[in-house]
Amino acid sequence: MDYAVLIELLSASIRIATPLLLVALGGVISELGGTFAVGVEGMMLTGAFGGAVTALVTKNLMLGLLASCICAVLLAAVIAVATVKFRADHMVTGLAANILALGLTSFLLRGLFGGKAPVMGLPTIGAIHIPWLSELPLVGPILFGEPLMTYLAFLLVIPVHWFLRHTQAGLTLRAVGENPEAAFSVGANPHLIRMISVMACGVFAGLGGATLSLQELGTFTDGMTNGRGFLALAAIIVGRWMPFRLMWGCLLIGAATALALNIQGWGLPVSSYVIQMTPYLIALAVLCGIGRKARMPAAIGKAFIRN
Amino acid sequence: MSASLGEEEQQDRTASLNKPTDSAGGTSAESPHVASDVLRRLGLAILAITLSFVVSAIFIAVSGKNPALAYWSLIRGAFGSIDSVAFALNKSTPYVLAGVGVALCFRARVINIGGEGQIAVGGIAASWVALSGSALPGFLLIPIAILAGSFAGAIWAGIPAAMRLTRGVHEVLGTLLMNFVGVLLVSEALHGPMGEVGAGFPQSPLFPEQAWLPALIPGTDLHIGIILAVIAVIVCHVGFWHTPWGFRLRLIGSTETAAAYAGVSVARGFARVMLLAGALAGVAGSVEVLGVHYRLIQGFSQGFGFNAVAIALLASLNPAAVLPAGLFFGFLEAGALAMQREIGVPSSLIYVIQGLTMVFVLCALGISSRRQRV
Repeated sequence: MDYAVLIELLSASIRIATPLLLVALGGVISELGGTFAVGVEGMMLTGAFGGAVTALVTKNLMLGLLASCICAVLLAAVIAVATVKFRADHMVTGLAANILALGLTSFLLRGLFGGKAPVMGLPTIGAIHIPWLSELPLVGPILFGEPLMTYLAFLLVIPVHWFLRHTQAGLTLRAVGENPEAAFSVGANPHLIRMISVMACGVFAGLGGATLSLQELGTFTDGMTNGRGFLALAAIIVGRWMPFRLMWGCLLIGAATALALNIQGWGLPVSSYVIQMTPYLIALAVLCGIGRKARMPAAIGKAFIRN
Repeated sequence: MSASLGEEEQQDRTASLNKPTDSAGGTSAESPHVASDVLRRLGLAILAITLSFVVSAIFIAVSGKNPALAYWSLIRGAFGSIDSVAFALNKSTPYVLAGVGVALCFRARVINIGGEGQIAVGGIAASWVALSGSALPGFLLIPIAILAGSFAGAIWAGIPAAMRLTRGVHEVLGTLLMNFVGVLLVSEALHGPMGEVGAGFPQSPLFPEQAWLPALIPGTDLHIGIILAVIAVIVCHVGFWHTPWGFRLRLIGSTETAAAYAGVSVARGFARVMLLAGALAGVAGSVEVLGVHYRLIQGFSQGFGFNAVAIALLASLNPAAVLPAGLFFGFLEAGALAMQREIGVPSSLIYVIQGLTMVFVLCALGISSRRQRV
């Protein structure tokens, strides 16, 4: 494998990992607070939709990013109210939110533009070459010639880690996910904290969706997230609910996908559909490999009932 | 605080245990209490549907169309002609088949949401049999094709079940990821061994005519699949409420500890209900290719699996109620297509209605009865 291919492969891994990482960071906040994050797929899709439509109408990428967060948080709020206030089952509510997101984005994409889906050729968020650093051999073009959202995603790992590990708010959040009764007895409000954590998850998942529509593709198509939210959930388990580790989980899925895409160019007798299966198969294989070592937050999926 | 919570949990458990034993007795089934429970669940379903139609009306209005006109067109489209009714019944068939399996899974607290993948591989297997068995007469070919489909569906559900039981991979993630693989397998089959050469769309050659499901009412498109769906519902209803297997399933669903105490293997119950749901989804996939398309086509299972979940929920996870719930979604879809043609309201509105209905049902289930958690 020559040098140029290696660089291409590694930077593709990072590019593919970016939306997964953003979504996984959101998901981990939700899950550590005790709410299963099955709805991230839908939040991601609404984020991608809100970002693309706003950028199309306003011609402003930054407004698009803002809108992607707002749209995803709105969906997250539905999930939060249903699971916290109405004690609805987390898994199935997440699934319902995904269906709702799929339907709403597809419906509004046509409905808002007079019955036909508009053709979008949005300018994508371009690569930012950091002066001097991007000149470095190997790491330069891979790490310092990436677009905005990629820097953001990888830099956000640090504050999220710090928040969860070293701030009182982060510790309270995790306490609510482990034992809401105990957290309640020392004055925390588990309901409020869970609602906030799910909506914070929406902010991250929305940005992850915007990465797809505004940075990768410059357009929105029905169901474009195509299971990436679920891959992010797998990465969370692989990373055992720890931000730095789940970053490696995302990079692993990214690298496997990039490699599979690259293999396609080698002229091997492997069809493109088998290649497309790779990320899902890799995720399943890794989950099986991890087995029971992954311990999820103790009170995840359990409603807190104040009496 | 923790003591009082423990006590509440205790009551909760007794309550949830009482319910299955009551109904398993069968003698008390006609008591007014049960009748009121059925009414309550029916009311809940109607309330959820009404609310989601009201919310959807807002979205129709946002898109600049008249909601009243749209809904009127939807109703006419669903019930307007014999053809549309036949279309709706055919649509409902796979939903009911897959939905009743999902309902049983959820009853045992097994969150199987892999319907789409199971339907997809079921369709592949049935198509393969239909295409390669052209020497066989129809009365042999059709049952073999459907059996092959159910077998494939069961395998597809069995894989995540095995992952859960041996490696602790949660079935939600396992079944979800298997969906993507299953759907891609259809594409792979159609671009490889089973594809029709020279067709513009990824599809298999037309099946031999003896493999087509016969029409239920001659002169319409309505095929006999709906009979299979009704039989499946009856068998699952009786099996769930009136057999030891169903009792064990309900026991697992109410409390795993009690089930284990009573000597019921939770793992075996888990595996069986997953395999059953997978087989039913496989039948759904077979019926769809053998009865509607007469060939395997790419994306034929699109959204079916999630539909099945929505239907199971709307039915309050009651196997018998899956039939009306599935019919409702079938007619809804038939109507939505007409609405798109006539008024220009995108038919993806049905996913909005489905998603909203699910959210409302889940909320109602969550607060109304703490014994019946999904």
